[in-house]
Amino acid sequence: MSELDLTLVDSAVERIGTSREKVLELLQAIQGKFGYLPTEALERLCELTEITPASIAGVSTFYNQFRHRPAGKYTINVCIGTACHVKGAEQVYDAFLRHLEIPQGQDTDSQRLFTVDRIACLGCCTLAPAVQIGRVTYGHVTGDSVARIIDDFLNQEKARAARPVRKRTLLGDEAAGRGEIRIGLGSCCVARGSGKLKEALDAALSTTGIEVPVKRVGCVGMCYQTPLLEVVLPGRESFLYAQVEPGDAKAIVLRHFKPPRLTKRISNVVSTALDNIVANKGTETVTRHSINVREGHVADFLGKQAHIATEHCGVIDPVDLDEYLGKGGFEALRKCVSELDAEQIISEIETSGLRGRGGAGFPTHLKWSAVRSQESPDKYIVCNGDEGDPGAFMDRMLMESYPFRILEGMAIAARAVGAETGYLYIRAEYPLAVERVNKAIEICNERNLLGEHIFGSDFSLSLKIVPGAGAFVCGEETALMASIEGRRGMPRLRPPYPAESGLWDKPTLINNVETYAVVPWIIRNGAAQFANLGTGNSKGTKVFALAGKVACGGLIEVPMGISIREIVQDIGGGVGGGLRFKAVQVGGPSGGCVPAELADTPVDYETLKDVGAMMGSGGLVVLDETDCMVDIARYFLEFTQNQSCGRCTFCRVGTRRMLDILERLCAGEGKKTDIDELEHLARIIKASSLCGLGKTAPNPVLSTIKYFRSEYEAHIEKRCPTGKCRALITYSVTDDCIGCTLCAQHCPVNAIEFRPYEKHQIDTEKCIRCGTCRNICPADSVKVE
Amino acid sequence: MPRLTIDNREVEVPAGSTILDAANKLGIEIPTLCFLEGCEPSTSCMVCVVKVAGMPSLVPACATIARDGMQIESECDVVREARRAALELLLSDHLGDCMGPCQVTCPAGMNIPLMIRQIAAGDLADAIVTVKRDIALPAVLGRICPAPCEKPCRRAAFDRAVSICLLKRYVADADLGSENPYLPQRKTTQGKRVAVVGAGPAGLAAAYYLLQEGIDCTIFDDHDQPGGSLRYAVAAEKLPRDVLDKEIALVLRLGAEFKGGSRIGALLSIEDLRRDFDAVFVAVGKLADGDAEAMGLDIGKSGLAIDAATYQTNLPGVFAGGDVVRGRRLAVRSVADGKEAAVSIVQYVLGRPVTGPAKAFNTRIGRLKDGEIETFLAGAGDGPRITPDAADGGFSEDQARREAARCLHCDCRKPQSCKLRLHAAQYDAKTSRYQGPRRLFTQNTQHPHVIYESGKCIDCGICIQIAAAAGEELGLAFVGRGFDVRVAVPFGRSTAEGLKIAAKKCAEACPTGALALKD
Repeated sequence: MSELDLTLVDSAVERIGTSREKVLELLQAIQGKFGYLPTEALERLCELTEITPASIAGVSTFYNQFRHRPAGKYTINVCIGTACHVKGAEQVYDAFLRHLEIPQGQDTDSQRLFTVDRIACLGCCTLAPAVQIGRVTYGHVTGDSVARIIDDFLNQEKARAARPVRKRTLLGDEAAGRGEIRIGLGSCCVARGSGKLKEALDAALSTTGIEVPVKRVGCVGMCYQTPLLEVVLPGRESFLYAQVEPGDAKAIVLRHFKPPRLTKRISNVVSTALDNIVANKGTETVTRHSINVREGHVADFLGKQAHIATEHCGVIDPVDLDEYLGKGGFEALRKCVSELDAEQIISEIETSGLRGRGGAGFPTHLKWSAVRSQESPDKYIVCNGDEGDPGAFMDRMLMESYPFRILEGMAIAARAVGAETGYLYIRAEYPLAVERVNKAIEICNERNLLGEHIFGSDFSLSLKIVPGAGAFVCGEETALMASIEGRRGMPRLRPPYPAESGLWDKPTLINNVETYAVVPWIIRNGAAQFANLGTGNSKGTKVFALAGKVACGGLIEVPMGISIREIVQDIGGGVGGGLRFKAVQVGGPSGGCVPAELADTPVDYETLKDVGAMMGSGGLVVLDETDCMVDIARYFLEFTQNQSCGRCTFCRVGTRRMLDILERLCAGEGKKTDIDELEHLARIIKASSLCGLGKTAPNPVLSTIKYFRSEYEAHIEKRCPTGKCRALITYSVTDDCIGCTLCAQHCPVNAIEFRPYEKHQIDTEKCIRCGTCRNICPADSVKVE
Repeated sequence: MPRLTIDNREVEVPAGSTILDAANKLGIEIPTLCFLEGCEPSTSCMVCVVKVAGMPSLVPACATIARDGMQIESECDVVREARRAALELLLSDHLGDCMGPCQVTCPAGMNIPLMIRQIAAGDLADAIVTVKRDIALPAVLGRICPAPCEKPCRRAAFDRAVSICLLKRYVADADLGSENPYLPQRKTTQGKRVAVVGAGPAGLAAAYYLLQEGIDCTIFDDHDQPGGSLRYAVAAEKLPRDVLDKEIALVLRLGAEFKGGSRIGALLSIEDLRRDFDAVFVAVGKLADGDAEAMGLDIGKSGLAIDAATYQTNLPGVFAGGDVVRGRRLAVRSVADGKEAAVSIVQYVLGRPVTGPAKAFNTRIGRLKDGEIETFLAGAGDGPRITPDAADGGFSEDQARREAARCLHCDCRKPQSCKLRLHAAQYDAKTSRYQGPRRLFTQNTQHPHVIYESGKCIDCGICIQIAAAAGEELGLAFVGRGFDVRVAVPFGRSTAEGLKIAAKKCAEACPTGALALKD
């Protein structure tokens, strides 16, 4: 083994510090240097800091992010979030292992180039199945496309190494009055190529000599249309282009802007003409993508929405403070600092009826008053950005797109409860969110919107990001605080609640990202206006991540009380592909499945609970008739079981036993008593687990048993009615086969013999039921039973 | 000072006390596994859950602060069900045998692995106590027992079973040959008398255990000398009479009165015995035609009909055991019957509910997986099974020690102090209520004082806290997460390195047999 350069540890310690709570940050730094956590480095860390071996061993094995074995040069993270799962993530994962010839039980190829890992959720649900390699995200991956993806990635890496980094900053005022081009640069957009598009735009502008600012904006929400590009011309309606490719950039520019000099103009005409000839496409290829906001599905998509947390979506540059200020940003904070006292702020929040957006829906003002009433010189404020629910990406979008709004909301809350120090705990899987929030904090500190004596008042607030390290359970507030303190993220018994005894035993206010994000709006527009939206006990709006089997997935913000049908049919455009809408999974691993029959259920905290689901943090995964509900239940139990902290018996062992039963059912080894046994375990686990994760873990099982009992019974009889459970199905070729050989060419395990012009056959012994043949067959002649 | 009620009884406790504190003050026992006074509550096992009126979920008593006006139920059905479920879930992931397969199979349930450890350590005085706790006539059985205990011996999967029967004989012979053979303590007399009919293995054993409980015994037999089938049906070459005599003499020395030549029949009837004694134990050996009717006792399948758990016959106060019930000759079964019937008889004569002996709670590993036998073999001597070369067929001291070294010690080192076992028995928890794939057996013996078997760990973390508080340099840590979490020494180091000062304290505090003292 090669000698490790342990001075890297020394320098990390020097930079980060030696105290106990730095352990996560230090481990992240060490892993950043070595690619894993070598024991020698950890021992060195013990020597240099006050962190004990027990703490390092405990912490470094608790969080998914940390590796104890060397990894390949690049890590392929296959997302197994809900939306990806229902679209075949497991097959994608298997395909990567097969393609890279990684033996069973291992995760890295023999050349140590790639490590293949499953990741809980990348939060790119509209791109499902999604895969992240390095910092590149690939969407709509199939087992068949993994080879191309790996090639593409390696080519990109080669090109990146060869290309000098060139950046051109365009300031907002640079070309004032000329209009601007807006391009979505949320993670989803980037994954769908908006980064390349931006490069192409920059290139187009520099060759044409046109000077118009290209502005990156946060998530527009219409993820199904990305990359989106909007051309805004002063005094005229704007033009929105969807699914734009880099090759379209120049044509779009020339359509709306005139080059400055005649010669340029002429050469542009010529070159565009040439382009068109070479590429054999006319200008309609561009207009093909052009969509009008007032028409069709876009109007539907946006029409029912109400933007509060996502105010100015697709309009503002996430980290342009002046723009945020120009649109009323920080007015609310100014008002709270100079006009309102703490009681008045809290009373305003009370009037608004705001409830926690993290899932449980606890009235926000009660939390705030509880912290405010504590007599302690030190109080903390925490923003829970550890959005770990598979199938949810609201908080990521909010943090990537509106970091100032979240900071402003936190500042108002801090003012109200009397806290002067705060943390934003953000999932490590969200690097862009960390980057943008960090940048926003930096800017606010410079501009005295954070830091000492904000607006010249006696109010000071210092905010800091703590990146998580991959543990869903850290979304539970007591676990999150343990994690900030540098411990294993284990929930503890409540009471005492964080309001009494939180971070370092001090009173602590902890709210979710979205909760903070709506606070400035409430203060600015008045609580009454917020309370006007929504239902009796659920006021305002809720941001949802709409994904799964829906035509128009994306990030949406809707008034509370809207029905599931409106969300799925009107906003989401219904289930695509002529399939029947079956159910919608609401609230992730704590939530449940609401069947199509109950689609008129209004979305609010109480009603969702009544039908066996839960608001959760707001993931909505639409399922169609091809989705197996037993598999969905198994999927969620597997998730919770993987993410259980392991503290209490009911969650650690109880959910494991539930999963055992579900695995048996999906493998065709179910017993008659299994449904009863699942219900029995579920009841006990719900009643007696220590924390919310355990108490809600059985929900996906209970709700699917409640609404889809016959599917469970079918599995006991060794049938999977939807043909999802691999152990219960066989693939065969029908007489419709035209002998085209495509299936034989694409079968990853050579289970189909190559027989041109003859009917093909599938060797069921070899078949791995990956579905490649079925997807590729032009004659629809592959049957699953 | 908050006032609250538990099971409708009011109590007042200092502020900051837990529900468990309040229950203790009332003398209400709440079972706990992961709680240890002086440690932070782990709230891990959840066996101490109670129901608080107005709260939707059950709460762990060990960590829930008692508040004024709380109304708590600690023994209602919901609570009992949850406690049992917690125990059964823990058991579903508990990898270990409370008792070794040999002990489970031994009809008398002798603690064989303990005896073998005592032999290996040269503690024969302790070994005979271990043996005679369950077998009244070990020197006899050491010669005639077919040794069913050796059948399931794990060592047989590797080479051959440990020679258990001969080891027991070695202990018993050494005792009989000593100046002062072992004689157990007798409790003060209870003033009760029991008639034992039949001086064979069952009768002698019953008398042996009744006497120890302070019950007087008179043994009736139709022969002149005690021993029954042992004397009159077993060949003297197999069972030398001097051995039989010596061992029976010890039973008599303990205080049994022997009345030979007194056959139940015309002169002496069961009715007479019932009148003159507080209870009767019938152990007359194989029934002859008409015997049962003469005694007025019902007949079952193979002999006298008894209640399987209590050895009671159809006549109140009349118990039966041994061949008279079973009809086949297995001395060790008869000896076991005598011991077990004695428990019922004591209950009967003292006016207590007659339940028979408590059935020991036991978990089992079952069939070993590939590679596991190697783990068991790690600490055992590697010699082949020893065949005695002495003329009388017994082991020499050296042979006994070497044979003892072959034992794999499959049993748990904390069968008495394991709280999981205790509460599992108390709540009637079933080991196989929940089933799932089991882990691989691990046993870590390289520490000089303690054994660590992670399969028995319930993840309470008490040892982690103790090691940290003791200032261990490495100590212990939770490694992993969720179902896979295990307690281990950081950086993959050995238990010896992790626990340099706190090992004994950790083992004593461990609620199960996961961490146990070696001896």
